[in-house]
Amino acid sequence: MKLVTFIDDDQERIGAIIDTLGLNQIVDLHKAYASYLHAVGNAATDQLAAATLGSDMIEFLKRGDQALAAARAAIKHAATDGGNGNIVERQRVRLMAPVPRPGALVSAGKNFSDHVAEMSSKKGPVAPVAFLKLPGSVIGPDDDIAHPPEVKNLDYEVELAVIIGKPCVDVSAGEAFDYVAGYASFNDISARDIIRGENKSGIHLMGKSFPGFAPMGPYLVTADEVPDPQNLKLWLRVNGEARQDSNLGYMIFKIRDMIAYWSQMGLNPGDVLTTGTPRGVAAGRKPDQVPWWLKPGDLVEAEVEGLGCLRNRIIAE
Amino acid sequence: MRIYLGLLESALPHQSRIFGELDGQLLDLQIACAAYLTQAESNPANAAELASYYFPDTITGFLEWGEPARQLLDRIISFASKAGLSGLRGHGGEKIVYQMSDVRLLPPLQNPEKSFVIGFSDRARTEALPPAEIPTGYYKLPQTFVTNGAPVVWPKFSEQLDADGCIAIVIGKAGKRIPPEKAWEHIAGATLIVDITARDINQREGLTTNNLLGKNFPSSTGVCPAVLIGNDPKTFAGLEVELSLDGRIKQKFALRDCVFSVEQIIARWSILGIKPGDWFAIGASMALQGERLQNPVPLKIGSTIRCASPAIGEVSHPVIAAGGIRR
Repeated sequence: MKLVTFIDDDQERIGAIIDTLGLNQIVDLHKAYASYLHAVGNAATDQLAAATLGSDMIEFLKRGDQALAAARAAIKHAATDGGNGNIVERQRVRLMAPVPRPGALVSAGKNFSDHVAEMSSKKGPVAPVAFLKLPGSVIGPDDDIAHPPEVKNLDYEVELAVIIGKPCVDVSAGEAFDYVAGYASFNDISARDIIRGENKSGIHLMGKSFPGFAPMGPYLVTADEVPDPQNLKLWLRVNGEARQDSNLGYMIFKIRDMIAYWSQMGLNPGDVLTTGTPRGVAAGRKPDQVPWWLKPGDLVEAEVEGLGCLRNRIIAE
Repeated sequence: MRIYLGLLESALPHQSRIFGELDGQLLDLQIACAAYLTQAESNPANAAELASYYFPDTITGFLEWGEPARQLLDRIISFASKAGLSGLRGHGGEKIVYQMSDVRLLPPLQNPEKSFVIGFSDRARTEALPPAEIPTGYYKLPQTFVTNGAPVVWPKFSEQLDADGCIAIVIGKAGKRIPPEKAWEHIAGATLIVDITARDINQREGLTTNNLLGKNFPSSTGVCPAVLIGNDPKTFAGLEVELSLDGRIKQKFALRDCVFSVEQIIARWSILGIKPGDWFAIGASMALQGERLQNPVPLKIGSTIRCASPAIGEVSHPVIAAGGIRR
C-alpha cells in the first residue's frame, strides 16, 4: 500500500493512493472503511472506523496488522464501489508528509563511502553516526522549502526514510526489519555554513532543522511491497539536472545495522530513521568549480526507486 | 509562583491537571479559578467554562493564553490565600486543596517542540577551550523526560554516566527572530533540568560533532516538576542551582554566571521560531570555594542525584541498573 496523510476540507486525514487508477486518486481510509462496515451490516460505523484506524498516521501505525487489514478492506471496497464519495482526486487535496510529526527523526551522517570521500573526511565512522532533525522541520511533497535569510550555503541530500512500525528497543540486526512499517523518499536539507559555524563551538543542530528542512513523501510504501530496501537506486535532480545518482547498497552501516544501533535509545511507531546520502551534494560535488547551492526558484526532485518522486520548490523566506 | 502538572489518584494518563503551590500544598487551579470567578468576580454564568479554557490539561495550554492568564493566576492565588486553605472548596463543593503526596507529578512540559540544552555554556568549562562564538545546543527528546523520584536507568551500552544541573528558561510567547531587547517578553518562567550523559558514547559521537545516543536514552533528562512563573530579568539572574550527589554538593551556580545571556540564547534560537512550552536549559558549574570542581558529576549505580534551586524547587533521582536492580 501507498499510505498518505492529506488535508481535505481543512482536516488532516489518512489515505491510500491506488495503483489501478493511475496514482491520481486517494482512498479516504476512514470514509471507505466506515462505508465497508456499513455494507457488511455493521452499526456505529464511524466510531468503529475511528477506533480501528486511529486519528493520524502514527496512531494508524501503532495499531499494526489490524489497521493494515482494515485499510486493505477499505481500498478494495472503495474500488469496487466506484468511489461513492470515499475517493478524492490527488490534485484536489494537499499531501502532507506521510508521517507529518514523527516523535523522533534520526538522520544518519557520513554513511556512504563516496560521500565521506567528497566531504574530505579522513575516514569512515567506527559506529553509526546520526543527529536529530526537529520533527517540526518535516514538510510534504506539496510544500515549498523556505530559504532562510541567515543561510548562504543551502544544500540537498537524497535519502531513504525508514518508518518504524512497532516499539523497538534493543533489537538485533537480524530481527530489525520486523520493526519497519514502510519506506519513503526523503531530502535532508542542510545549511552548510550554519553547520560549519555550529561545529566550531559545539555540535550542529540549527543547520539541519530550519522549518521545511525535512521533506518526506509523497507516500509511505508499506514494507511488504519493498522486498529488498537495501538494494534500491536513489537520485536527485535540481531543475531537471542530475546531481546525485547512487544505490543504497553503498551504505556503510546498513539499514538493519542502523535500526539495531538506534533501537538502543528506544524507538516508537512513527519514528523515522534516514539513511544518509551518497555523493553529489553541492558542498562536495566534483567537478563543479563553484558549489551549486540551492537558491529561490530551484526545483529539487529526490527519489528512491519505487517510492515516488519528492518534488519541492525553493522559495525565499 | 510555582505551578505543576499532575494526575490525581485513579486518573487516566490524559486527565492531567494544573496545580499551583500555596503554603506547601497544591491547589487544583481549574476548580480554584471557577471558585474565584464565581465568588470574587460574581461571574457564575460561564465560570467553569472560562476556568477550563485558562487551566486546560497541559501547562503549555495555560502558557498559550499569555499575560492575562498569568495575571488571573496571581488573582486566584491571592484569593485562596485570603480565603484560607482549610475550608476552600469549589462552587459545587469540589475539592481544591491537595497534599503534595496526593498528586502524581509529571514532567511539567510534556511535549515541547524545542527542548534544548545550550552546550559549553559555563565559564569553568570554556576556560579550557577556545571561547564559543555562538550558543550552540542539543536536543533532548521528550521521550527521555523523567521527573522527581523516578530512577535514572543505567543504559546497557555505557560504562560512564554523569550528570549536569541546568536552569531551563521556559517560553511563554511564540515568536521568530526575536531581537535581544525583546527576549524577556517571550519568557514565562523557569524550571530545572538534570542532563544525564553517557560520556563514553558522547565522546565517540563528538569526534563527528554529533551527540545523540549519549544524550538521548530513556530517563536521560530529569525535569523538576515545578515551573516558576515569572520573567523579571534581575530575579532570574540571581536564580541559583545546586547539584548534589548522595547529599554532597558538586555543582553550584547562578544564571548570571553563564557565558551566554538569556537574551543571546533567545535571539539565536528564535531564528527557528519558538513556542509556549519550549525550553532552553543552561548549565554552568562554577567551582565551589575550597572544593574541587566536578563538572560533570560522575554517577554510579546506587547513588542519588539531586538538583535544587530555592526559588524553583528540586528534582532527585536514584541511579539504578537496567532491569531495575541496584547492583
